[in-house]
This record gives sequence, structure tokens and C-alpha cells, in this order.
Amino acid sequence: MLSWLFSVATFAGIYALLALGINVIWGMGGMINLGMAGFFALGAYASALATTSGGLPIPIGLALAAGLAALAGGLLCRLTLRLRGDYLAIVTLGFSELVRLVAANEIWLTNGSDGISGVPGPWRSELTPFRFNVLSFALVAAAVVVIWALTERLRRAPWGRALRAIRDDDTAAAVAGKPIRRFKIQAFALGAAILGLAGAFYGHYTSYIAPDIFRPLITIYIFLALTAGGTGNTTGAIVGAVAVVLVLEGSRFLEGWTSVLGGVQKAALREVFIGVALIAIMQLRPLGLLPEKSPGPFLKRKSR
Amino acid sequence: MLDLLPQFLVNGIITGALLAIPTIGFTAIFAVLRFPNFAVASHATVGAFAGLVANVYWGLPAVPSLAFAFLIAGIVGLVSDEIALKPLRKHGALTTAIASIALTIVLENIIRFFFGNELRGYDLPLVRDTRFGDVRVNPQQLENLALAVVIMVLVFTALKYTRMGKAMRAVADNPGLADLKGIDAALVGRVVAFAGMGLVGIGGMLFGLGTSIDPLTGFRFILPIFAAAVVGGLGSIPGAVLGAMIVGVGEEMSALVLEPAYKSAVGFLAIVLVLTFRPSGLLGERAY
Amino acid sequence: MTDRITTLGPNRRSVLMGGAALLATPAILRAQGTAIKFGTLTPLTGVGGTYGPSMRDAAVSVFDAVNAAGGLLGGSIEYVSEDTQTNPEAAVRAVRKLIDVDGVSVVLGTWASSVTTAVAPLCWENDVMLFCVSGADSITRLPHMGYIARTQPNSVLQIQVAGDFMLRQGSTGMAWIGPQTPFAQSSIDILAGQAEGAGIGMESLIYEADKSTYRSEVDTILRSNPDFIMLGGYAADSTVVLRDIWQAGYEGKIMGPAYAVNPSVLDALPDEVTEGVFTWEGAPAIGSTAYANVQAALGVDVVDPYSAQTYDHASLAVLAAAAAGDAGGSAIKNALRSISQGDGTEVSDALAGLEVLASGGSVNYSGASGPCDFDEIGDITGTQFLFNQILGGAPSMFERV
Repeated sequence: MLSWLFSVATFAGIYALLALGINVIWGMGGMINLGMAGFFALGAYASALATTSGGLPIPIGLALAAGLAALAGGLLCRLTLRLRGDYLAIVTLGFSELVRLVAANEIWLTNGSDGISGVPGPWRSELTPFRFNVLSFALVAAAVVVIWALTERLRRAPWGRALRAIRDDDTAAAVAGKPIRRFKIQAFALGAAILGLAGAFYGHYTSYIAPDIFRPLITIYIFLALTAGGTGNTTGAIVGAVAVVLVLEGSRFLEGWTSVLGGVQKAALREVFIGVALIAIMQLRPLGLLPEKSPGPFLKRKSR
Repeated sequence: MLDLLPQFLVNGIITGALLAIPTIGFTAIFAVLRFPNFAVASHATVGAFAGLVANVYWGLPAVPSLAFAFLIAGIVGLVSDEIALKPLRKHGALTTAIASIALTIVLENIIRFFFGNELRGYDLPLVRDTRFGDVRVNPQQLENLALAVVIMVLVFTALKYTRMGKAMRAVADNPGLADLKGIDAALVGRVVAFAGMGLVGIGGMLFGLGTSIDPLTGFRFILPIFAAAVVGGLGSIPGAVLGAMIVGVGEEMSALVLEPAYKSAVGFLAIVLVLTFRPSGLLGERAY
Repeated sequence: MTDRITTLGPNRRSVLMGGAALLATPAILRAQGTAIKFGTLTPLTGVGGTYGPSMRDAAVSVFDAVNAAGGLLGGSIEYVSEDTQTNPEAAVRAVRKLIDVDGVSVVLGTWASSVTTAVAPLCWENDVMLFCVSGADSITRLPHMGYIARTQPNSVLQIQVAGDFMLRQGSTGMAWIGPQTPFAQSSIDILAGQAEGAGIGMESLIYEADKSTYRSEVDTILRSNPDFIMLGGYAADSTVVLRDIWQAGYEGKIMGPAYAVNPSVLDALPDEVTEGVFTWEGAPAIGSTAYANVQAALGVDVVDPYSAQTYDHASLAVLAAAAAGDAGGSAIKNALRSISQGDGTEVSDALAGLEVLASGGSVNYSGASGPCDFDEIGDITGTQFLFNQILGGAPSMFERV
């Protein structure tokens, strides 16, 4: 049981990293990125390939994962800079499907739909499964804390406040002399780097990655997590991720009530419950469990 | 491969015409309610299953079954919008869009709960293709094409000449002004939620004709729907038709130059190309 | 729909009966021994959802039958079913719950190769036996130390057998059309080798899965004028491809795996579309007790290969535990081959096997899906293959090799 709790907590940590990444892009930068799974995949593949066929140590894999995802994020953002949110939503969704297609079809690089197994985890072979779970949790939790501190600091820094100003009204921000394009690309790349890092953690923790993992389902979970937690609120991103994992995993224990139903019906009910719970959270707490609090006006102070 | 070009073109036009119907529904909802409703996937499935009930259980022929698919998908669209999405609309388009994804999960699994995962087929005869020179066309496809054209004509006529159609366009163009004119925007919203999802439901059944349907049916063509709507210009109904044609023809023709395993990439490339030059899609947003 | 009702009826009844039997078992018996816990992990939602539910029901029917007949090792079997969602990420979370919370010693019924590969390390690290039906050749080559057993013949063998069949039927031009899967490219390579050996042409096309039409793909493949086409996809894709091939006016032969051209596909498509299509599968033991049990449990005449296999997974787990006198994962792993093959009494269902074991004998289990003999890496051996031809919308036996 304890081992399971650590494993659920590790997944919650990975989800929290994803939510933090999306929070930089969407919550702080106001750019929707439904291509999250694509960046998650880029990071996972970069680190897995670097540490398996590349034979590099895991920390370098993590760095490569963040770097590659940041580069892809910056490029995609540059390409879509002029698009309004709803268009961006669909373009980024298409991007992640493209990444998945490439991962499935370019067998020479990614081993295709077989996926990459045996991705190394830190001291995995020396530890018992329980201890490996504890260690993974500790590492992921440390990463969450570091990223949380980093993004929270950025949010309060001039850079973050300028970004918020752009998100809320980019004409005004432009008038105030902010280089909007640069800010947006930076935010997108930073967020994507965090997503890529989460992907690397995922691969090293579970030891296996395959194109099927990166279907849009996980993107949906993370957006729901962020919306539930409080878009734009760094702590809210983590709270939301934990809430979503609790709903996902907790719903497994509903089975007891439904013993007369067949297997499919139970599975279907579980997913109905997940969907309804998430919609209910959004309706009851439309600004999230922890609504965004402004760290202080930036533009107003400047323009007055 | 070039000898197949005329055939691919024909395949593309037929796919495009089919794609146009749900795309119109999606884009109309966007035009009036101002958010991309990702629940089109599950509504297409709802339509496909409603058509199945009418056709297989009640023995109705294709066209009444399609009408039933329209009705049920429309009702589900209206009710689920009222309950799940409408309360969120004031919090922004993207919040609503994300809730619509959760709604998709719910609806898909309600269908799964009642119908299970088995593949099911319609009780409709299949016919073989007819050859015109080098090109073969299926009579069923021609019927679908005709149906698609009729539906499009109906939609355009309704938009142009009926009071509700005019009100819809007014709300889409300028909600504030429409309100001043005394148009009941809430009512218009309901009608669009109903009719839009109804069209998506028809699309779901049309795609399922001659093959099999299951709770994931709708997911097989949502990406092309989104791509078509964006290429044509979100919120533009003629744009939806044009976008659907471009994506449909593009996907089928892609076999000439691209590995077939990358078919979906065509929609994405079309989006990127079009948006690079026209950030609001080919026909912009207010073209009717 | 009638199909659905008949499937549900017996299930619900058997679950209730199992429950009633459990209650009727003397309390002392139930209290004895440590709890025996087995997990099913089949795709109940997602792309594999067409297969997973009946796979689960087939496996569960074994546990219910064993419990009703007095249980295993002085206790009764508790089983937990989780859903892979046909997604490795969700499956990893599900298997963690099965292992860490429920404490199962066996996980059975994983279907997608990616799901099996994802959950396999967690199983072998935690002394949990994993039975799967996945086809990717790479699975049994994982460093699993015996914790994986696969009842599906590996894809190399399957394709070789099928390619031989196509040549025997006098093919003068072969084609393969299917989605991208772990065995798509290897299937193509094997067929191409066989075609080259026979001096005939071979065309192939890998399409994108989950599309609603494949007309242009079919046009492309028909350009080379094949007279025998092999389908490489699963049920949902195959209905679309079969329709498109038929509508294109193709008159040659077609063959597809029995799991792809399965009863639900035959139901969904008009008979003329599927007329004459060949299917092949590792030969199920039609007429055996095991096969009859699955037919009864699922309420069907033709058992799909995957459900037959998960029925066997459950039976093998039960018998291995009984033979080892221990329902732990490593005990089951070590005892597996002692009950699946060898000189013991040949039995075809778990109850018969338990009787033999109880009287001190040894057993050789041959189940619904075939003889169920495993080699050292967990691949099935000695499989015979059954070729059926679809006539009038139903499979009829063509040959057995």
C-alpha cells in the first residue's frame, strides 16, 4: 500500500511538473498549448535515447530533454505568434499528433510503436521496488519544488509581470514598450522545457516509453488539473495536479459499489465519474481551487 | 502513381463533402457561442448510435435514420451544453473548451455503458463501385455527396432567409448590436447548440455507413474537422465547406507524395500553410 | 444487440452464482491460507475495448468456477479487474494499484504490445507473473526472468505460416495492408522474402490507424494487381478496409488474422463483403471442455482467440498455484511449465486439473486456445494453425496445419 502511495505521488509529481509547464505558457503567458503531449513526448524520447543508445548519464538526458523541448516550443511559438487562442489550440493539438506520428513511424530513430524499453532509472537495479519508488518520489518532488520556486520567482519578477500584462492586453503592453514577441517566445520555450523535463522523468521512472503514451488524453488531464487548481497560480497548478491524480486513482476504489455490473460498464462508469468530477470542480470553483492572485500591478504603475 | 490522381481527386471530393457537414456544425457553434467545442467527437458518436438504433432496431431506412441521428445528437448537444458548458462560458472560451473535452469523456462512456465496445454495423446494403473510365465511384458515396449538398443548401437557406438564421448571423457578427436589436441571444445559442451538434451527429452516422461503429467512432475524424474549420476560418460557414474540401482532397491526394501513415499530417500542414498567410483562415471569420 | 444480451445474461448470472457459492463455502475454509489474489488487466476502454471485456469475462469465469467448486489451496480466489484504457501510461498506474494495493500475484490479459511492455518491468520486479496476448516479438526478449508467458504465437511465426498458406493457394502477387504496429514492418519483410523466394510480386502499404476511409490506400495497393491481400490491422480498421476493397471491385483472395476478422466484424459487414475471406489463428481446441466453457461463459458460438487465451491464462495460473502449493508470483512462475507441458495427465480445464493434482498426479494443461506449451523465454510452442474461410457470414474450417 505504501509503495503504491509513493508511486501515485510520483505520478502526481510528474503531473504537477506538466501543470507547472502549462501554467507558464497558458496561465502566465495566455497562450493555449493543447500540444502538451508532444513536448512531453519530445522530452521523454530525447532523454530515453540519450541514456540508452547514447549511453549518456541521466542528468545529461534531462538537460537534453528540456533543451530539445524548449527549442521546439520556441519554434512553434514563433510560427504561431500571430494566431488567436482558439486557432492556437487547434494548431498545437495538431503538432502533438504529428510528434506521435513521427514517433510511431520513424522506426530507425524511435524504435516505432515497439517503443523504447529498459530506459535506465537511477540505481534501479540496486534498489528494491519500494525503495526505488521512494527515491523516484523524492527526486520528482525535488524537481517540483525547484520548478515551483523558479516559476513563482519569475512570476513575481518584472519578466512575469510584463508577461501577465501582455496576456491581459497585448496592445497596451506594446504601447508600454514591451517586446511582446520575445516575451511570448521565451515563455513558451520555458514552459515547453518544463514539459520536456517531465517527459524525461516519466521515462526514467517507468523505464518504458511508446507513442501510445502520448495520446491527447494526458493533455486533457493536465489542462483539467490546471483549471481546477487555478490558472496562473503556481501553487494551484500543483494542487490541481494532485486533485486530478486523486480523482483518477481514487475512482478505482468505487468498484465495490457496482458489483452487479460487467467489466466494461464499471470502466465506463469510472470514466464518467472522472469527467463529471472535473466539470463539477470547474463549475463550483471556476477560478480554480486557488485562484490567481496578482503579485502587484506592473503596467498601471509604470504608465501612471 | 500519377495515373491514380483522378481517382484520388474524386475520393477527396467525396471525403471533403462528408467532412463538411460536421465541420459546419462545429464552426456554427463557434460563430455564435464563441468557443471551440471539442465535444464534437462524442456527439458524432451519439449521432452514429442514434442512427443505429433507428436503422437496426426499428428498421428505418437511411434518410429517416439520419434525421433521427440529427435529432438525438442535437438534443444531447443542447442539454449537455445547458448543464455542463453554459455556466462556464462567462469564464472564457478556453475554459469552456477544456470543459468540453471533459464532456466528451463523459458522453463517450455513457454510450459505452449502454452499448458496450462491440463493433456494430448498419442494416444497409452495400453496393460496389461504378466505373467511369479510370475512375470508380460508389453509388452510396454519390448519395452521401448529394445528401451533403442538400444539407449544405438547407443550412445556407436557413441562415439567409429565416428569421432565426438572420438572428444567428447577427449574434455571430456582433453580440452587443444583436442585443440592442432585441435578439434573444440565449435562444439563438440554444438553437445553434442543437442544430450544430445535430449536424455533427449526421456526420458521425454518414462516416459509419458501410463500416462499423463503436464508442470511439467520433474520434476517428475530429482532427480533420478541426483542421477544416481552421483552414476555412473559424466561425465561417462557407469557410467550413471550403476547408473541408481542402483537407479532404489534401488527405486523399497526399498518398501521391507522402507515406500513407502520415495522412493526418496533411491537415496540420494545411493549417500551418494557410495560417502563415492568413491568420484568420481563408475566409476570415465573418464571411457568410 | 441480441449478441450483447446473450453475453451479459450468463455473465451476470455466473457472477451472482459465484458470489452465492462464496457465501455457501464454510467460513473455516475461507479463513484458511493467505488470500489468493489474481488481477485481470484487459483493455476495457480505448482502441482495444472491442476485445478486452470478453477477455476479462472469460478469465473471470475460470475463477468463479474454481471458487464454486471449493476454491484453491484451501481458500477462494479473489480477483480484481482493472482497465488498461489501451494506454501504457494508464496501464502503469493500474498495474501499480493491482500490485501494491491489491497484492495480486498474477496479472493476466494485457493486449496491446506497448501496454505489456510498459507493465512488464513492474511485474518482474515485484514477483508478479504476467500472462499476455500481445504479438510484438520484442516482448519475450525482455529480461523478464520467466515472469512473462505469452499465449499468442509470436508475429514472425504467424506471418510465415500465413505467407506459406497464401503461396499454397497459388498466389501470383501478394499484398499486405495494415496500420503501423510493432509487427507491421517485420510482417512486410517476411512476406516480401517469401514472395521473392516464390518469384512473385509483393506490394505493401502501412496506413494511419483510426481513419474512417481507406479508399485511396486501397487504390494504391490494387495498382500492383495482387491476387491475395493480407490485412494487418485490428477489427475496427479491418471493417473499413474490407468494405473499401470490396467496393473497389477486387475479386482476388483476402486473408486476415482471426482477431481482426472476428464475429463482430462479420456481424457489422454484409455477408457478400466478407464472403471467401480467409482467417487464421493459433488453432483453438474446438470441442474441448475448455472451449465449451468459454462458449458458455461468453454465450457465443465462435470464441475469439484473445478470450480463449485469457481463459487459459486464468486456468494456467490456478493450476500452477495448485501444483506449487503456493499462490505467490514466483511459485506460479516456477511451476508454470510443470503443468502446461510434459507427461502429466492431459486436462482441458482447471477443475479437472485440480482433481488430478489433488490426487497426487501431474497434469499437462491444454486449453481453449491450444496446447499452451511454453519455451524458455515464454513464447508458445507447438502451435497448430487453423485456417477458416468465411462463408455466408460465418467462419467454416478450411484447413489445419
